[in-house]
Amino acid sequence: MSKTTIPTAGLADDAVDLTSKVTGTLPTANGGTGATSFTAGITEIDHFRLSSGFTGDAAPIASNLERIDTSGLFEKTGTGMSESSGVFTFPSTGKYRIDFIVRQQISGSGQYNEGSIYYTTDNSSYNLASGSSQFISQVNSTTTQAGHMNTTIFDVTNVSTHKVRFHVEVQDNSTSTVGSTSETFTAMVFLRLGDT
Amino acid sequence: MRKDGRPDHIEDALMVMHNNQWFTWTDSKNKIYANLRLTEKIGLNGNLVDNPVTELPTESAVNAKLKELQDAWDAANGG
Repeated sequence: MSKTTIPTAGLADDAVDLTSKVTGTLPTANGGTGATSFTAGITEIDHFRLSSGFTGDAAPIASNLERIDTSGLFEKTGTGMSESSGVFTFPSTGKYRIDFIVRQQISGSGQYNEGSIYYTTDNSSYNLASGSSQFISQVNSTTTQAGHMNTTIFDVTNVSTHKVRFHVEVQDNSTSTVGSTSETFTAMVFLRLGDT
Repeated sequence: MRKDGRPDHIEDALMVMHNNQWFTWTDSKNKIYANLRLTEKIGLNGNLVDNPVTELPTESAVNAKLKELQDAWDAANGG
């Protein structure tokens, strides 16, 4: 007669070895297809922001970038990105999601206010990965603000050659891009989603 | 800058004195005039070029610009 239950006391502490004694497919509830293996989850999370604002274009943003260091808000996961003169280098190969959030303001109106992610695969020539734009229409006599965001997925197959940087270009040079070292207005997010 | 748009910090003045990222701080958590510096390079049309601003404005000029901005905001908004 086969046993359907084994009392806990009947098992030695090391009786079940999950590294070698388990085969088959892990059942998944509610009609799922079951899992045969698992890979590591998100191993890299990083978040930078513009620490000081500027007026007009910055293509690329080349300074005043910092990892978000507001106490209790953010702590990077993994090695983290490295940044120099606005060029971001990835810590390891993989597929990365990159977000660029931009907040801009003007005393007046602006036809276009752009934020763009540029990438290189040769550490030299940069191409547009994604861009967002907004118009700002003055609503009263004070400064009018607006925000926009864009996202790209970058397959980083070589950390020496595959890099990104961020551009801001505006129609009216009196438009400013908002930065702060205590709050986050214009920012970049990096998530490593998986292997290349 | 206050949330209502009234300038309240020397950075608000610096931002309108020149375009692009011409200034930085030796301590971004302590943005006072003594910590103000010029950046070496700015991003322009996809390239890093020498900062065309070669001299910091004086502290009095920065303060005067801030007051000018505040006066203009107050005049426009009954501040």
